[in-house]
Amino acid sequence: VLLAVAVGAAGALAGGVVASALRDFDDPAGLAAAIEHDPLVRVAEIPAADGAAARGIYAQATSTGHLCLWEAPSPTSRRRQGGCNDLDDPLAGEELSFSLAYEGGPATRSVREARVFGLASSAVARVQVLMSDATRRDVPIRETAALGIGGTAYASFAYRFGARDLARGVGPVAVIALDAQGAEIDRQTTGFGG
Amino acid sequence: MSKSIVAVRVAGALVLVWLAVASVAIAGETIYAGPRQWSPNAGAGSAFSGSWLANRFATYGSGYDKAVTFIDNKTYSWHNTLRNRSGYTETFAPPAPMVKKGHCVSYDLGFWGSCAVR
Repeated sequence: VLLAVAVGAAGALAGGVVASALRDFDDPAGLAAAIEHDPLVRVAEIPAADGAAARGIYAQATSTGHLCLWEAPSPTSRRRQGGCNDLDDPLAGEELSFSLAYEGGPATRSVREARVFGLASSAVARVQVLMSDATRRDVPIRETAALGIGGTAYASFAYRFGARDLARGVGPVAVIALDAQGAEIDRQTTGFGG
Repeated sequence: MSKSIVAVRVAGALVLVWLAVASVAIAGETIYAGPRQWSPNAGAGSAFSGSWLANRFATYGSGYDKAVTFIDNKTYSWHNTLRNRSGYTETFAPPAPMVKKGHCVSYDLGFWGSCAVR
């Protein structure tokens, strides 16, 4: 019986260590809990098109010190998708940060709907998407007071890809940031079709 | 078999079960991959269920290309896929009665992260 107690105590200690290590791993569980409750602010929208409903783009500064950007039907909807970075570096050191959302796949030809949304630094004047047929799409971009973080302004952008493009296998290859002079200052691949 | 040996075996089994639960179910999450190091095109999946609500991929640091999605158990299509380089990436589950599993995939090399459903 003493051995059983000793084994139990050792197990409890080991389990505590495992749980603690997972919590300390940038605390994803803590962030997951925070995003359930912290308020969202609408910063952009993706209009309805091709039979798909409109979606809002929402920023969320969490109590855990992160800035999240979500796409969702409404600020209270749990049908949201997006990502979070540290509040003091929401673009992860780049000029822009974006998410690619799509339905269908994994093969490119079976993707039925796709959108891109993200944040850009104040140095970015235009955002374009390079498509797999070498054409470019201009993405609406707008600055918003809701994204003035620590005295630094950010702009948001969002775009829905045309159903006709997707049906013929044309998808987004890269998201490109241009400055006010039209010079390319950032380019990030989407991996779409890759 | 003596009673003490039976007690030890029962206690050991309970500890193993408890350890498993403690390591994968924290704050309502079920961790199905990692924390571990990832390589390009490495993927992982949760169990199939009709009740999953969300799927997330968290990394230590940001800037790593990765995706989260749900895969149904009939056509094995991807649903609500979200791909980015954020430190925390999350998508929502298709509604019940669809039976689906959370799936996460890495497109980058040499970063640490974990995937979980809730």
